[in-house]
Amino acid sequence: MVAFTIEQIRELMDKVTNVRNMSVIAHVDHGKSTLTDSLVQRAGIISAAKAGEARFTDTRKDEQERGITIKSTAISLYAAMGDDDVKEINQKTVGNSFLINLIDSPGHVDFSSEVTAALRVTDGALVVVDCVEGVCVQTETVLRQALGERIKPVVIINKVDRALLELQVTKEDLYQSFSRTVESVNVIISTYVDPVLGDCQVYPEKGTVAFGSGLHGWAFTVRQFATRYSKKFGVDRIKMMERLWGDSYFNPKTKKWTNKDKDTDGKTLERAFNMFVLDPIFRLFAAIMNFKKDEIPTLLEKLEIQLKGDEKDLEGKALLKVVMRKFLPAADALLEMIILHLPSPVTAQFYRADTLYEGPSDDASCNAIRNCDPKADLMLYVSKMVPTSDKGRFYAFGRVFAGTVKSGQKVRIQGPNYVVGKKEDLFLKSIQRTVLMMGRFVEQIDDCPAGNIVGLVGIDQYLLKSGTITTNEASHNMKVMKFSVSPVVQVAVEVKNANDLPKLVEGLKRLSKSDPCVLTTISESGEHIVAGTGELHLEICLQDLENDHAGVPLKISPPVVSYRETIEEESSMVALSKSPNKHNRIYVKAQPLDEEVSLDIENGTISDKDDFKARARILADKHGWDVTDARKIWCFGPDGNGPNVVVDQTKAVQYLNEIKDSVVAAFQWATKEGPVLGENVRSVRVNILDVTLHADAIHRGGGQIIPTMRRVTYASMLLAKPAIQEPVFLVEIQCPENAIGGIYSVLNKKRGQVISEEQRPGTPLFTVKAHLPVNESFGFTGELRQATGGQAFPQMIFDHWQILGGDVADPASKPGAIVKAKRERAGYKAEVPDYTEYYDKL
Amino acid sequence: MTSEELVAPALSTYQDDTTFEFAQVVSEKNLRRHLNLKDPQDQTEIIDKINEYYSLEQVIQFLQQRGEDGRLKYKRVTLQFPDSLVGDSATIVHELQRRLGITCSSIDTSSSCNCNSKSNSNSECCQKVDNDNDNNSQSQAIWILADTSYSPCCVDEVAAEHVNSDLVIHFGDACLNIIDKLPVAYVLGKPQIDIEKLIVQFKQRFPVDEGHKIILMSDSPHTYLLRDLYNLLKDEYPHLLYTDLAIDNNSSATIIGYEPIRSNEEAFRILNRNIIGLNASSIDNEEDNTAFLQEYDLFHITKPETPRLLQLTTTFNSVTLFADGNISQGPFPNLMRRYRYMHMARSAGTVGLLVNTLSLMNTKKLINQIGQKIKQAGKKHYIFVVGKPNVAKLANFESIDMWCILGCDHQGIIIDQSNEYFKPIVTPYELLLALSDELTWTGKWITDFNSILRNLSNEEEEEEEKEEEPRNNEQQEEDKPPVFDPVTGTFVSTSQPLRQINHLSITAEEEQEEDSTNSSNSLVKKFSATIAIKNTVSTSAVHLQNRHWTGLGSDFNTEDGEGEEDGNEQGAILEEGRGGIARGYDYDNSLKKHS
Repeated sequence: MVAFTIEQIRELMDKVTNVRNMSVIAHVDHGKSTLTDSLVQRAGIISAAKAGEARFTDTRKDEQERGITIKSTAISLYAAMGDDDVKEINQKTVGNSFLINLIDSPGHVDFSSEVTAALRVTDGALVVVDCVEGVCVQTETVLRQALGERIKPVVIINKVDRALLELQVTKEDLYQSFSRTVESVNVIISTYVDPVLGDCQVYPEKGTVAFGSGLHGWAFTVRQFATRYSKKFGVDRIKMMERLWGDSYFNPKTKKWTNKDKDTDGKTLERAFNMFVLDPIFRLFAAIMNFKKDEIPTLLEKLEIQLKGDEKDLEGKALLKVVMRKFLPAADALLEMIILHLPSPVTAQFYRADTLYEGPSDDASCNAIRNCDPKADLMLYVSKMVPTSDKGRFYAFGRVFAGTVKSGQKVRIQGPNYVVGKKEDLFLKSIQRTVLMMGRFVEQIDDCPAGNIVGLVGIDQYLLKSGTITTNEASHNMKVMKFSVSPVVQVAVEVKNANDLPKLVEGLKRLSKSDPCVLTTISESGEHIVAGTGELHLEICLQDLENDHAGVPLKISPPVVSYRETIEEESSMVALSKSPNKHNRIYVKAQPLDEEVSLDIENGTISDKDDFKARARILADKHGWDVTDARKIWCFGPDGNGPNVVVDQTKAVQYLNEIKDSVVAAFQWATKEGPVLGENVRSVRVNILDVTLHADAIHRGGGQIIPTMRRVTYASMLLAKPAIQEPVFLVEIQCPENAIGGIYSVLNKKRGQVISEEQRPGTPLFTVKAHLPVNESFGFTGELRQATGGQAFPQMIFDHWQILGGDVADPASKPGAIVKAKRERAGYKAEVPDYTEYYDKL
Repeated sequence: MTSEELVAPALSTYQDDTTFEFAQVVSEKNLRRHLNLKDPQDQTEIIDKINEYYSLEQVIQFLQQRGEDGRLKYKRVTLQFPDSLVGDSATIVHELQRRLGITCSSIDTSSSCNCNSKSNSNSECCQKVDNDNDNNSQSQAIWILADTSYSPCCVDEVAAEHVNSDLVIHFGDACLNIIDKLPVAYVLGKPQIDIEKLIVQFKQRFPVDEGHKIILMSDSPHTYLLRDLYNLLKDEYPHLLYTDLAIDNNSSATIIGYEPIRSNEEAFRILNRNIIGLNASSIDNEEDNTAFLQEYDLFHITKPETPRLLQLTTTFNSVTLFADGNISQGPFPNLMRRYRYMHMARSAGTVGLLVNTLSLMNTKKLINQIGQKIKQAGKKHYIFVVGKPNVAKLANFESIDMWCILGCDHQGIIIDQSNEYFKPIVTPYELLLALSDELTWTGKWITDFNSILRNLSNEEEEEEEKEEEPRNNEQQEEDKPPVFDPVTGTFVSTSQPLRQINHLSITAEEEQEEDSTNSSNSLVKKFSATIAIKNTVSTSAVHLQNRHWTGLGSDFNTEDGEGEEDGNEQGAILEEGRGGIARGYDYDNSLKKHS
């Protein structure tokens, strides 16, 4: 019994004002998939009985088995709203039917990249927060990401049933807990104020916060209760909503509303929220769970709930579930929030266009995005690849931002390295089919207009993970997604049977496609490396690789960490290298780059694509650079965008422009393979102080300059106290008080540093936050469980790079040992080279 | 502005003549250790020892051979020395001249060094000892070849041909690979080693009763010792085998001063060595006939050059080296690094064929066939002949993504162990693996040209069977999908530049039309704007377009933009510069004339 047809959906797609693209985001185990079920159930895709248990959007076998979401899954739903409700929508709307494109995302921190990919194609987010655990590390991460993408949030506080049944809290306690949770969400939101997006804070009295239980399938907003009571009291609904939250009290004697919690006699008044909203719920719970058979029918009658024949025989929890679902269906509350308070693509793209598009904000493509124009040239962003039932093939999953995508349409596929006017990473291809993603199923559609989410068949071979699809030759790329996590944990994989090697390579390709964040490379010593964000992520990737993508038995090495090379000081003297013919000299000094600058480069705030003047302004104003220096950044490296820079500080050097290309090429090379470990370099600024060049062009060609620039970069780094950086996780552990001792002892053993420990008010739970080197995190979860009797479960997310103290050249020190092992594995000399190896005397 | 005097910008660093002076050559005393001299000052001892070491007696006999018509068989003889032995060359020539009775009008061999005008190469130093003409049938002429352009183990035919030589005598370690044209005589020398010390260490490495299967091998000068060594060890090591030099039957080469065993049966041959005691017929003559060698441990006297060492380590179970009186087991070059390079070659768009030999047989054939193969794979290739390639020389060609080196498997292949080279270097075999559609990695490392040619022809046969169906598909308008590069984990769209020709020729025409309209005010016709030249893609042109600096004046506009605040920047006035080439400019010449 599906309550809608594909034709209906297709029709709605054209009424973009009635479309809502939204993702469900939250910390792990806060109940995203379960809540999504109630929406799916409302749409008639799964039966009511299964809702809450089926987790329809967990399509993979291991997702069902492990009970966690691994891949984000999209589904399109049809919803109708009453006239009353539609009136309250403060954006353009046509008719009463709505199309909701919903993406359920994983909550585990290791899969944050899936969330990023989901957020890109949506305009609104339903943030799910566990009523008991409150705002956790991942809640904060995803919320921050959402706001960064200019996505409006609404909140549902989930698992209220737990608070009622397990913790047995009082009404006022529950209100306080709700209000604290809302407040902590708002604290996070307020730190990311974006004037274009406006106020994004959530307010229960405005209907942007819901409360409920996904498992039991019920939820409510203050607005719903306000609707009920506004008739009774004859008060305007909006006014009623404000009265039902916060310091608002009703004096039953005087029948007056007040904002003081005492009446004139000094008697305590009950909070309006508790009295009007929580009271009926508490009573229902009490009556049903305490088996007060006689009370139940009266209550039900009062609340206008009718039970069917066999439902009357139910008892206890089962009855509670049925009753609550009838009383406050979760889908109603959610749909109301989504449709009323989340923006339509038309609304959202108006303010998102600038942040979505790489090109100038006044060109045709950007205008088309801003207006969500279905008749303009196509602009489509593919945010991820979804495996099809056909092995090795993928649906390109993305959103049409402008124009209309059709089956058979010839398009330009622009990969991430595409630059307007160049041929690299550009492909012409026809789209075979366009499909609608419906959880584990797909439905074919002929075309899909701007503002909708779509799957494309036949272009997966041209894009690795993401890309832009357009029909306009002048279109720039859509902005590349920046992930909050980074693949810092890696393993080497090897086939058990040498003949399977081609399958492994093909499998690695498929793996890189299927996951937005996994990185597969070949190391210096010829090993295939798979890098993921954490142990769980890697485990899932390797499992997919072995069973699915490659389908051959694999040997997998223990996980290791990827390091970065950096420096701690300015070069102790000017480094000089001469070219092989001794006729050219480059004089440079290296100095560390501020961490803030590196971060800005890494997240794209400062990049080589910017206009150099704008870039110089940011560097000068925000980071205190000298403007002249900031304007003379020659390049970023490695890969042209890494967190290292070459700054030209020379004065009147002849022919300098001629060698720029060679210097840039050499710097990319040198920062890709640093002098100490052969790993990427991070946070190094190389200042070219002076250059002497031979007067004849042939004697200062690339052959002379490239090796020399590389040598001098190395020499300057080795003169500047070289160091290595290791990745550090932010660990968040929630546990009861008695487990804290165990946590501390494990953290101590693992070089962890506790940064905060606080009790969650109203609960016996403590939240411990700590920094833990990724290198020490292997097996951390297991040890923690052991030390705390299974009561503590950590969430670990990549936080920052940290210098590993000690002399890299001394094998007795910690970094020295790492360096030595790594160098030996890669087949270099075991000792770190001395600067004299790259330095030439005058 | 124009009336003001032009002042050259002050160079930030003071430069005078010394800045550009060449580095001084540091002279080194050659101690001639290989001769085992008691008294390095004693000239007669040196001559004696040299006679003995190089078996000059036999060399003289060889040179005195006469053809059927009674004339001397070899009249114009070139002697080739590696750098390490070149110090002995003068003495050898003196000896030969004295004993062959060659008279020279101006014998001042040790100091004067007239560069032969016929050879335009500066790198060779040819001593023409006898400058009388060819008509005199009784006289012989001897030249010394040193500083060979390619690997010193190979015979430098090109240098020898500069003097129309009819015989090359190659001194020192030799790869014994077949060369194209000239007859060769190898004088390997007779180096000494401390056999007793060797045996002690050998027994430490391979304890007697463990039943090791061992093969003895060495570089070619030391090979004469192996037979004795084998006789000393064979009682204790029943599974011991040793190798002897092998020269191909088709070759016109002779070895002087050492006679390899010529057994009746066909001995098993590998890497220019016969394994004595193994019959070729006794081994299954299937394709992979070297697999059984994996059971054997190799004991090698002297440390071979990297390419050969890599080859040995991939052929045998283990390799033990005995060099400078000590045994060592590693570090050896890493074959898995080559695996990485092979993957890089798959995604490379432009391949530079680096020809590092001119004398090896089949070189030209191989160049042509590989070039063909690269083209078929849709990649662009350029051929380079570079004498003594090094980092700087190769880095000059920035548009090359991948080098493929054709050279002698002994010393002529560059194996970049410390990532010094800007772009990776692969061997033809690795390139062929990379060019095939299906990914394979055999774990073998094949370098000799014949095997590669055989592989090539096998592949071609297979391809012919396949018919040329895909051709039609390529003509379709849709682009080919990019390839996945497992090294970086990304898609590479530039790996097959030649396949983009359709796509490009259209745009190129358009651009040309545009060009013609606004060409009136441009000073130089810019070739760099076109990517396709004569119906083929030029990846160098593509690369040039991507450069920041594309030639004189290309930075003028950018300067203009920046110049807003720096003041009014104007173009300089065109003035005549200097002409000529770097070796001598016009004004240099005029200076000389005046002085």
